[in-house]
Amino acid sequence: MKTLLSICVALLLPLQATVVVAADAQPPKVFGKKGYFWDEMTPERAAVLRGGGDPVKGKESFRGCQGCHKADAAGVREGVYPRLTGQHASVLIKQITEIRAGIRSNPKMLPFVEDPAIAMEEIGDIAAYLATLTSVRENGKGAEDMSARGKKLFTDNKCFECHGKNGEGNAAKSFPVVASQHYGYLLREMKWIKQGVRGNSNPDMVKAIAKFSQGDLEAVADYLSRLPDYRTVATPVASK
Amino acid sequence: MKHNYKSIARCLSLCGTLAGLLLPATASADDAVVVPPLEERLQLCAGCHNPDGNSIIPENPKLSGLNAKYLNRQLKDFKSGDRASPIMSSIIPMVDESEFKALAAYFSEQKRTAGVSEKPDLAVLGKQIYDEGIIGSAVPACSGCHNEDGSGTDKYPRLTGQHSLYVSSQLTNFKSGERKNDPKAVMQTVAKRMSEAEIQAVSEYIVTLKEAE
Repeated sequence: MKTLLSICVALLLPLQATVVVAADAQPPKVFGKKGYFWDEMTPERAAVLRGGGDPVKGKESFRGCQGCHKADAAGVREGVYPRLTGQHASVLIKQITEIRAGIRSNPKMLPFVEDPAIAMEEIGDIAAYLATLTSVRENGKGAEDMSARGKKLFTDNKCFECHGKNGEGNAAKSFPVVASQHYGYLLREMKWIKQGVRGNSNPDMVKAIAKFSQGDLEAVADYLSRLPDYRTVATPVASK
Repeated sequence: MKHNYKSIARCLSLCGTLAGLLLPATASADDAVVVPPLEERLQLCAGCHNPDGNSIIPENPKLSGLNAKYLNRQLKDFKSGDRASPIMSSIIPMVDESEFKALAAYFSEQKRTAGVSEKPDLAVLGKQIYDEGIIGSAVPACSGCHNEDGSGTDKYPRLTGQHSLYVSSQLTNFKSGERKNDPKAVMQTVAKRMSEAEIQAVSEYIVTLKEAE
């Protein structure tokens, strides 16, 4: 009996292990797949948001990021790497944790941001640090000024409802600042959202830009790239 | 592992002589570890790395000015085998772990000498990679972590004036996965995204880096 029992246990144990592995190996639920809910709070994101952030520590942790995003966190003008300065901490935390979870597809960045390259505790610190920065370098803009057409599209399609009239986003709802972002980055991300390959796209935005032509996307990207840093707009200018 | 075998042989014969001198002492000290004074121990390192840590053998790294924490970690990794090296693996058993801290501190305090590039025509591309990265293949700029002048930090080793042959051998080893003791696997990721030609170029630039005054 004892032998039989141990045989049973021996047979069951590996089975159980297989089940656990299979559960772990489940691919993340991304846009377009069943079970995807936009902005679903992951345990890690919740923990980071709860933990807050220390901008002083964040500056040191950001060292591992500045090879691409540059020491001033302004990215590169061509927009291959976005400007991170002044982005809401909540947005940075959402994006970093969703890249780590494989929800937002970003194979180039993943090895530099996944554990242990960045520890969970560092995410909040980095986000807190970046939110305090202002950009001094000029951002990349479209080749020609298409801001009038871009503004009309932005308004007609109610993009401002999420991203704000000044492109200031919404920290509480994790909608990103889009004002004075690099043109190239805005255009690329809009395309990827439209094509559904970004992974963590908001279905509302996919719908909103579904009918945008290449020219429309370029015009909106150009318009947003020409908006000033929202913080300079939101702060009342001293009257003369 | 890329090495010039003549210099390995030179090194090993020297080490052999030193080991011959030292081994009887270590062998008789099975229970109590006999730790020689630092000056004596440094002679073991000096054969390959020079007394001031500015190795004159291009395959062997300059240890001068390396951050003490980084050096200490490398010594520990050689000891545990986490960092493989045919030369260091034969030397490190002679050194007791309790000596690492003092050795690391000693070399970290030595002044790094300037290096010379033997292929200066590669340094232009090398500088671009070092300062700007390679955007198409998402290689980050080296300067992001190691600083513009290569001075590094606690986490990231000093590169300033390091032998190009050593730097390229390490990048090649990171690329192949032969060296994998980078704590965050970040250097393996970076090197895997680089071509052999890019590795050569950036190594030729690194050797020319000079400390900011």
